[in-house]
Parts: sequence; C-alpha cells; structure tokens
Amino acid sequence: MMESLAISLVNAVPVLSGVPLWTITLLIMVMVAAVVLTFALTYSGLATYVERKVAGDIQARVGPNRVGPVGILQFLADGIKLLLKEDIIPAKADRFLFVLAPYLVFVGSFAAFVVVPFGVGLIASDLNIGIYYVMAITSLVVVGVMLAGWSSNNKWALLGGMRAAAQIVSYEIPVGMALLPAVLIAGSLSLQDIVRSQGGLFGIFGWNLFHNPFTFLSFFLYYVAALAETNRTPFDIPEAESELVSGYHVEYSGIRFAFFFLAEYGDMFVVSALATACFLGGWHVPFLDAEALPALWGNLFSLGVFLGKTLSLVVLMMWIRWTLPRLRVDQLMRVAWKYLVPLTFFNLLGVSLWLLLFHGKGIPQMIASLFG
Amino acid sequence: MKARAEALPTQEMLINMGPQHPSTHGVLRVILRTDGEVVVNARPDVGYLHRALEKIGERVTYAQYMPFTDRLDYLAAMNCNAAWAWTVEKLAGIEVPERAEYIRVIVCELNRIASHLIAFGSFTADMGAFTPFLYAIRERERINDLFEDICGNRLTYNYVRIGGVSADLPDRFLEKTKEFLDYFAPKVPEYNNLISYNKIFVHRLANVAAVTPEDAVGYGLTGPNLRGSGVPFDLRKNEPYSVYPEFDFDVCVGTGERGTLGDCFDRYMVRINEMKESVRIVRQAIEQIPEGPVMAKVPRMFKPPVGEVYFRAENPRGETGIYLISDGTVNPYRLKIRAPSFVTMGIFEKITKGLMIADVVAVIGSFDIILPEIDR
Amino acid sequence: MGLKDYLYDIWEAVATTAKGMRITARYGVDPRETITLQYPEERWEPSERFRGFLYNDIKTCTSCTMCVRVCPVDCISLESVRGADKKMVLASYDIDIGRCMYCGLCVEVCPPKSLKHTSGYEKASVDRGELILHFIHEDAGEIKARVAKQVAEAAAKAEAEKAKAESEKPEAEMAKDGDPDSRAAQKDAPPPAGGNPEGGGAAEKKPGEEKE
Repeated sequence: MMESLAISLVNAVPVLSGVPLWTITLLIMVMVAAVVLTFALTYSGLATYVERKVAGDIQARVGPNRVGPVGILQFLADGIKLLLKEDIIPAKADRFLFVLAPYLVFVGSFAAFVVVPFGVGLIASDLNIGIYYVMAITSLVVVGVMLAGWSSNNKWALLGGMRAAAQIVSYEIPVGMALLPAVLIAGSLSLQDIVRSQGGLFGIFGWNLFHNPFTFLSFFLYYVAALAETNRTPFDIPEAESELVSGYHVEYSGIRFAFFFLAEYGDMFVVSALATACFLGGWHVPFLDAEALPALWGNLFSLGVFLGKTLSLVVLMMWIRWTLPRLRVDQLMRVAWKYLVPLTFFNLLGVSLWLLLFHGKGIPQMIASLFG
Repeated sequence: MKARAEALPTQEMLINMGPQHPSTHGVLRVILRTDGEVVVNARPDVGYLHRALEKIGERVTYAQYMPFTDRLDYLAAMNCNAAWAWTVEKLAGIEVPERAEYIRVIVCELNRIASHLIAFGSFTADMGAFTPFLYAIRERERINDLFEDICGNRLTYNYVRIGGVSADLPDRFLEKTKEFLDYFAPKVPEYNNLISYNKIFVHRLANVAAVTPEDAVGYGLTGPNLRGSGVPFDLRKNEPYSVYPEFDFDVCVGTGERGTLGDCFDRYMVRINEMKESVRIVRQAIEQIPEGPVMAKVPRMFKPPVGEVYFRAENPRGETGIYLISDGTVNPYRLKIRAPSFVTMGIFEKITKGLMIADVVAVIGSFDIILPEIDR
Repeated sequence: MGLKDYLYDIWEAVATTAKGMRITARYGVDPRETITLQYPEERWEPSERFRGFLYNDIKTCTSCTMCVRVCPVDCISLESVRGADKKMVLASYDIDIGRCMYCGLCVEVCPPKSLKHTSGYEKASVDRGELILHFIHEDAGEIKARVAKQVAEAAAKAEAEKAKAESEKPEAEMAKDGDPDSRAAQKDAPPPAGGNPEGGGAAEKKPGEEKE
C-alpha cells in the first residue's frame, strides 16, 4: 500500500522522480507511523481523563475540573508531572530488564494501532494477516508485564507479574476463538476486509453481530475475554491495588509508570477497535455508505463512525470497571477455562456449521432474500 | 504428582503485608508465608499504633479520659464515649436522666450505622469495587453533619459526659435525623442490588474463612463477627443496658445463605442487616424520647468510691468491655479495655490457613477490624 | 454440575452485573446526584456548635487556669502575675493547636466563658511554631516587669499612705489599717488586662507567679 502511494506521489510530483522510490516509501511510512502514534497518545491521554470523569460521575463526584475548561487538560498536567518526576530504580532491581519492560508493554500495545481500520482508506497498513498480527503483537505486553514483575525484585510485583502471565496466556485463547467467526464469515484475516464484508443490508443488519445467534454471543464472549486481556476490572488481578498494592508496576514511577498506564488505555482501544471491526461493522453505519462518498468526506465520516463505536466500547469498559468487584485468581482461571474457552469453541463450531448449512448467509440476509 | 513435587522443591515466600498496605485497614502487619498464591501461614503483627491509652487513663481524670475514648475506635467514637460513661456511672452509681439515655442511644445507633457503612464501603473497596465505598462515605457524611450539629465535631465527638451528655439536642435535630433515616432506609436495598448479591462479590466471599459457631465462641469473637457465625448473642438484648429494653429490634445472625455458616459473606450481611435494625431503633427512640434534663448532678471534682467495675457495651465491632479500678482519687487506679478487634485477631491465623492472598484481604475486611482499637 | 446449573451460573452473573450497572448508570447520568462541594469557592457552613480553633477573649479571662487543668493534652499554657489590685494579670496565654484535639472540655469549664471555639478550621503551616496561637502579643517578661513595677509603685504608695496615716492617726487604730486600704483600691482599679492599674495599693510586693 505504501509503495503504491509512493508511486502515485512520484507520478503526481515529477520533481521527486530523481529520488529512489524506497526513500519516499520509507518517509511515508514514518509519517503515517507518526500520525498514528500521535493519535494513539492523544487518545490515551484523553482516555485517562474520561476514565476519571466517568468514575467521578458514577461515584457522585465531579472528577477533574481544574486544569483547563472542565479539566480537559488534566492529562497534560499529569503527563508533565510524570515526566518531571524522579526516575527511581530499586537498588536490587535487574536494571536492564527493569528499564526494558515498560517499552515492551508500550510497543506491544501501540504497535497494534497499525492495523486498526479507522476508515475507508484510513489504515496505516492493511496487513493481510491483520487479526493474527494484533494477537501476536499484543502478546508482547505479557512479556513486558512479566519482566516488570520479575525485575522489580519485589514480591508483590512478582506475584502481579505471575498473575498477569497466567491470565493473559489463558485469555489469549478465548479472545482468538471469539474473533474467528468474523474471520470465517469474511474469509480473510485482514481487518479492512472483515469490515467490508459487513456492508449492505441497511448497514446495520450486515454487521456480524446480527449475522447469526452464534456471532451475537461471540461478541459478548470476546468482550469479556478482552476485558481480561487488558487487565481491566473485574479481571484486574495483576494490578489488584487492594491485594498486591499495585502489582507488577508497584516499583515504577515517573515516565516509566506512564508507559504502563498509557499502554493500558492503548490496549483498551485496540480490543474495542477489534470488537468494532469484527462484530459492529467497523465504519459501516445504517443508510449511508461511506465508500460511495467522495474520498475525503468518506474517510472523515467513516473515521467518525469508527471512533464513535470504539470509544463507546471503551466507555463501557470504564463503566464496568467502576461497578464490579474483582475476581480471585482461581476464579479468573475458572472463568477462562470453564466458561469462556468451551463457549467460544462451541460458538466457533456453531458458526462453522451455520456457514456450511446456509452457504454463508446470515439471518438478515435470508430474511432479505425472502422479500426479494 | 507427589514424586514430582518432591523432585522440584519449591520455596515458600515470606511476604510482609503491611504495615503500609491499602487493605489492612490501618497499620496492621500480616506476616504471610505463602506457597505461590496460597497462604501457608498468616500471622498478624499488631502494635504499630500503640498509644498507651490504658496507661493514659491512669494519669487523667475520669472526665478527661472521655476524649481519649474517641481515639479508641474512631469510627464509632460515640459508642466508645457512651461505654466509658456507662462504666463510670456504674462504678459511682450515678442516676442518669432518661432523656440523656435516649440521646445516647440515638447517637450510638447512628454511629453504628456510620461505622457499618465504613465497614461495608471499605470491604467492597478491598474486593475491588471502589464505587460503593464512595456511596457509603456520602451517607456517612450526613451522619457526620448530624453529629456536628449535636456536638461540633465530625469524627472525635466527645459528646457523652459522665452523668449525661454535654448538651441537649439542638433545634430540629430529631427532624433532621428522621429526614436522614427516610433518605437512608432505601439505600440499603440499593447496596444489595449494586454489590451484595453481585455474582462476583458473592463468589469472593461465600465459603471463605468460615468460622464455626464453636470456634467463634471459643475464640471470643463478639459483635457481628460472632453473630455472623449464627450465634444470636447481642448485649443489647442479652445483657440489656441503658434504655435498650424499651426498643423492639431483631438480632441479626448469619444464616449461611450463600455458602457455609460463618463465612465472610455471612459476616458482611449481618452488618448490612444491622444497619436496618439500627434505623428501626433510632426511629423508636425519636418517638419515645422524653423531655427533661440531660445531665445528672456530678461534682466537678468527681471522685468515685473505691471499687472495681466491669462494663461491656455492644459496639459496632463487638463487645467493648471496660474494666476499671478506682482507689477513690480523681484518677482511675487501673484501666483495662477489652477491644473487640484485638480479640478477633486471635482467630486470624487459624482461619487464614490455606486461603489465597486475595482471601486474606477479604478476611480482614469481613472482620471489620480497626487498628487504634487493636493497639490502643 | 449439570448444564442447567452451568447456564444459570452464567445468567446470574450477567443479571446481577446488569443490575449493578443500572444503578451506577443512574448515578452517572443524573447530575443531581453529584454531592461534591467545590471547596475553595464553595464552603460548607459550620454548625453552631462547631469546634474550631480556640479563641480566648483575654479581656474577660480571669486567669483562673481551669482550662489549663482540664486540658487532657496540656495544649494550653498560661502565665499570670498578681497585679497591683490583687487580681491576676495574664502575662501570656498560648494554645498549641497542633496538639489540641478539639475536645471542648476547656470551653465547658471556663467560668467567665471567655474561651470559645471559633468556626475556623483552616490552618496550614510549614513551621510548628506557627501552630501556637498567642493571645497576648506583648512579651511575657515585659508584662511581668511592668506589673511588678506597678505593684512596687502601689506598695510604695501604700507604704507612704500607711506612714502618713500612722503619723496622723492614733496608735490604737494601727491594727485595722490594711483592710480598708486594699478594698478601696479594688474599687478604683480598672480591669487587670486593660493595661495600667494606676492607683490603688496592695500590701504584697512580690508578683504572684503562675498559680500552678
């Protein structure tokens, strides 16, 4: 994609024809990456603010409201504070791993933004193995979290790291299994293809969510598993501030802590984006086909739709967090292995059979065909 | 399996939980020996908040000791105030005006609600749900407002006096209290819907750290912790003091409704239900309160007769017993306080064996211990 | 565990979660449920009986030291000297609000009701010394010296009057001499804390130290 972009750029601006093509491609790649990263960081910062506002509203409080209008600049103040804080590394920590861990977590979380289909043409890199890539790259998070827990040389952090490892490894399975129905229906691992496969039928009935009962269930299973994957309440046992103080990042401070913090919100976005793309029709919206619009407006419109859906799911996560208590570690495993894993397998089987029996048609499609 | 376990010996881990830990409710230190997540042994280490409150009692006068009882169990300062007053009155044989006794009961029961609210809130916060904690604090603030009207302070009230109470009820206090009760009564079912019967919450508590009735009696548990094990023992009923016999209320006991009898969930539910009972008591007290003086004649240089006395009162955390020896001077000769939380810690080591670390937090929360009382 | 229990388990988890989330949502969207007071701008009105910082009206204080004796934490310190009119003159009256536990016992025992709780509750300082409230701003030594001087003057005057009286009156009345003098002096004297008790006489020369 980048290469074709570069070629078209060279064709449009003849001055550039002297420059080797790969330089232009690389430059475009860097620029796109910068744009995505800027978006991701801005989003993460704002999400921390929204989280606090949501918590405040739910808890009959106000939340941050002092920095900037209605406190919206609070995240900047916090970010600056974290930047200026003393960088503390415990004396007996494994310095190299301690320093490395936040980057792994950060990279694991934010690299996934690359394949998020923000709009009709707005995707940093439409990998043909999109979902697979997300699953793989977000696994870096668990490595980082474990390293953080181990290298801190703190028993609470160690417990948190071990819990995180057990949890994320367990929940990778239901997450993957719950996403597979969407892959089966679209016949592609590319997220953009999956989104495109959900168009038509007034925009809303083409969504995988309404494709058949199994996909409907699959969305909720995915969402629950994804909550666990991102270490959010009620599955936040690696952090568990009331048990493990704050788990794997107990010894981190300053900007290193900020990396963990931002990565959590990045993760939330990624899993919500996946849910949107795979089940909620991505940037599809009822009665309006974004692809039919002029390129600029189509892109902007689809970006808005996609962000709207994704951010609603993020807010839902926050709402859940401020309502529910936390599971115990053995119960967490039980939820994964006794409930989510069998149910997602059952779902996968159901979807496969459905596709086989009805030749890939969903319920809305069948109803539509009844009426001609 | 066993052979493999021997081939790969694992080390036990020694973890310090506290004294600075978010859910040890203060400066309790628990020395945890764990095998991974499973607790092999959890030994509470108390004493970080020792302020020699009993010794202080020997150098201050009887009236001067009243503010120190505030610091005994700061979440139920009124109850501690009243317990001290009742003790000294029993020793000196002071007749307290009936209105004063009614006022004491009203403030004690309001404080019991406040204390149980904190117990409920901090317990849910320990379990990971932070929101109910703030709801509980919000309700407690209204009780604090009432107490501020009545005595001027919001935490350490020092309201009760030997021989009565320091001041009569302010204007509109009873109306305000009624308003609060009307506001508060529907909140309890809301808490139940919000969290008490939440599946996750129930699973975290049910069948965890069940205390059998025999153990509960044997280890000297009192208050909601004893009643949680199904033993219907409440000093307000079984050894009535003050004007408690005038009121109609039920003793809440654990039933093992979601798990075994005496588990964390039972202890939790006893507190929730006791808030409802306290509301009932306060309503009756407001109806029945007589007019009259609020202070008996007590000489300024108060010297009780030589003798000793033991008085126990049903406080939110259990039975607060005060043992007092008087040598006829203005200062007590010896003062010993039986703090319910301290006695409760005795069973801690026994019931936490084999639980997980997260359960230790649940046990501490369900016992509703308070450190200033443990360490005194 | 049968399939029915298994499904019921899932159903219960979903239902109870939904119930809880409905409650939190109601609080979340209802702006009337917000109870926060935006503190520096909005302030809550302390109630009538609020026990804030202590304030001693030294004009009416009689330096009886009841407050000092009743205070369980000894946060009140008081120095007084016996003035020329035999009344106590406050030399210093300090309350360490860093130690005070706002129990209100001192206010209750104060006979002239000069010691009061104010509604003040805001004080932060980087220095513990600032937490000691001084109700008399003059230096205690100066007051003592001044009062001692006054006492001495008064005594000298009394002495002079006495000598005068002695010289005038017959010797027989000498024994009753002291009493009417001092009584008259008390009538004349302005309140002790007011400053300069000019006239009057007292037999004692030594300024009384702090009572206890």
